[in-house]
Amino acid sequence: MDKIISVNGLKKSFGENEILKDINFSVSRGDVTCIIGASGSGKSTMLRCINLLEEPTAGEIIYKGQNILKTKNIPAYRAKVEMVFQSFNLFENMTVLKNCMIGQMKVLKTDKETARNEAMHYLEKVGMAPYINAKPRQLSGGQKQRVAIARALAMKPDVILFDEPTSALDPQMVGEVLEVIKNIAKEGLTMIIVTHEMAFARDVSNHVVFMKDGVICEEGSPDEIFTSPKKQETKDFLSRFMNNR
Amino acid sequence: MTAFFKEVVDILVKYHGYFLQGIGYTMLISLTGTVVGLIIGLITGIVRTIPQSKNPVIRGILKVVNAIISIYVEVFRGTPMMVQSMVIFWGYAFMNNGNTLPLIPAGIFIVSINTGAYMAEIVRGGIISIDKGQFEGAYSIGMNHFQTMINVIVPQTMRNILPAISNEFVINIKDTSVLNVIGVTELYFFTAKISKMTWAIFETYVVACVIYFILTFTITRLLKLAERKIDGPASYTINEMPAAAEEG
Repeated sequence: MDKIISVNGLKKSFGENEILKDINFSVSRGDVTCIIGASGSGKSTMLRCINLLEEPTAGEIIYKGQNILKTKNIPAYRAKVEMVFQSFNLFENMTVLKNCMIGQMKVLKTDKETARNEAMHYLEKVGMAPYINAKPRQLSGGQKQRVAIARALAMKPDVILFDEPTSALDPQMVGEVLEVIKNIAKEGLTMIIVTHEMAFARDVSNHVVFMKDGVICEEGSPDEIFTSPKKQETKDFLSRFMNNR
Repeated sequence: MTAFFKEVVDILVKYHGYFLQGIGYTMLISLTGTVVGLIIGLITGIVRTIPQSKNPVIRGILKVVNAIISIYVEVFRGTPMMVQSMVIFWGYAFMNNGNTLPLIPAGIFIVSINTGAYMAEIVRGGIISIDKGQFEGAYSIGMNHFQTMINVIVPQTMRNILPAISNEFVINIKDTSVLNVIGVTELYFFTAKISKMTWAIFETYVVACVIYFILTFTITRLLKLAERKIDGPASYTINEMPAAAEEG
C-alpha cells in the first residue's frame, strides 16, 4: 500500500506529563482517518505533532518515505500537510479572499491572478464566494471554518489534518461544516480528522482510531469500531458517548 | 489685557519667521525620530520573538543579540534624553578632536534611538498580545517566521499599538525641546531666543505653548483617523457574481 504518513513510536511529554506514549499508525493515500477518544486522551497533541506545531519527544513521522523530524525545511512540509483548527485561526487582518490567496502567493509563489482564481474556486466549493470581501470578525463560526477549509484546499495539499473542526461551533453550524468536509472526502483527499461527532466519523471515514490515555487502544474500519468493538474501553467510551447525546 | 494681545500680535508679526523655522525643525526631528524609532522597535520585536532554534550556533547568536537589545532598551529608557544628548554630542566631539556633529542630524539621531528603546517594548507587547492561533494559522500553511511576521503579525500589531505610537509622537514633539541644550534650533530654542530679544517672556512662552498644543492635537487627531482607516468599514459588500469573478 502507498503509505503517505506513518507515525512510529511517537512520544510527547510536557515536562513530567507524558501525553503520548508510543503511538504507531499509518495513513494511506486517499484514506479518511477519524481519531476519536475522550478529551485529554492526546488526540489533538498527536495531530499537532504530525504538523510539527508540537515537537515530539521521541519517535518518527515518515512522510513519503522521509522522516520529517529530521527535515530542515519544515515550512515546505507544512504546505503539503495542511491543518484546520478548532479555533479557525483565519488571519484577522485580511479579507476572506486574501486569506485564501496569501499562502499561495507567499509560500507557493503563485502569481496573483492564478491565486485569486484558485481561491475563488475553493471558496465557491465551500459556499463562501459571496463573502470574499468580509473580514473574519464579521463572519459566524461556521462561515469562518468553511473559509479555513478553503484556505487549506487552496494550497493543494496532500493531506489535511482537522483538529476538532466543529467543537467551537453552535449545533446548527456543525452540520454545514461537516457537509463541506464530507464533500471533499468524496474527492479522494487524504484526511486525518480528530472529532467528537461519532455519526459523522462513522459516515465519512474508512479508518477509525480510538485513543485512550496517550495510546491507540483500538483501530479498524468504522464498522469494526462502532458496531463490534473488541476492547472493553472502546465499548465503554462509545456507550458513554451515546448516552450523553 | 489689551496690552497682552498687542504684545502677542507684535511678537507674531515680528518673529513669525523664527517660529515657523522652529516648528519645521521640531516636526522634522520628532517625525523622523518617531518613524526611525518605530522601525528599530519592529526589527527588535521580530528578532526577539524568533522561536528557539535547534541549531546551537543560531541559538547562541540569538542569545547574544537579545542581550544587546535588552541592554540598549534598559540604558536608553533609564536615563534622561537631555543627558543622553549631552553625552552623545560631546562624546562624539571628545573622540574626534573637538569636531562636533551637525546639529539637526544629531538631534534626529538622539530622538530616534531614545524612541527606539520605548518602541522596542511597545512592539514586543503588541506582538505577544496577538493570539497564538494567528502564528499557528500562518505556520500551518507553510509560512516561515519572517513571512508570518510581515504578512500576519506585524499588520495586526501595528493596529493595536497605534495609540501607543501616537503617544510616543506627541511626547517627541514636546521632548525635542530638551535638544536646545546642545543648541538644536527647534521651537523651544527659538522661543527662548525671542524672549531674550523682546523681554516679553510671558507672552512669548504663551505663544509657544499654543503652538505646541496645536501641533500635538493635530497629530493625535490625524492618527485617530488612521486608526479608523485601518479598521475599514463595519460592514462588507456581498460579492454578487462569484462566477464572473472566477472567469476574470
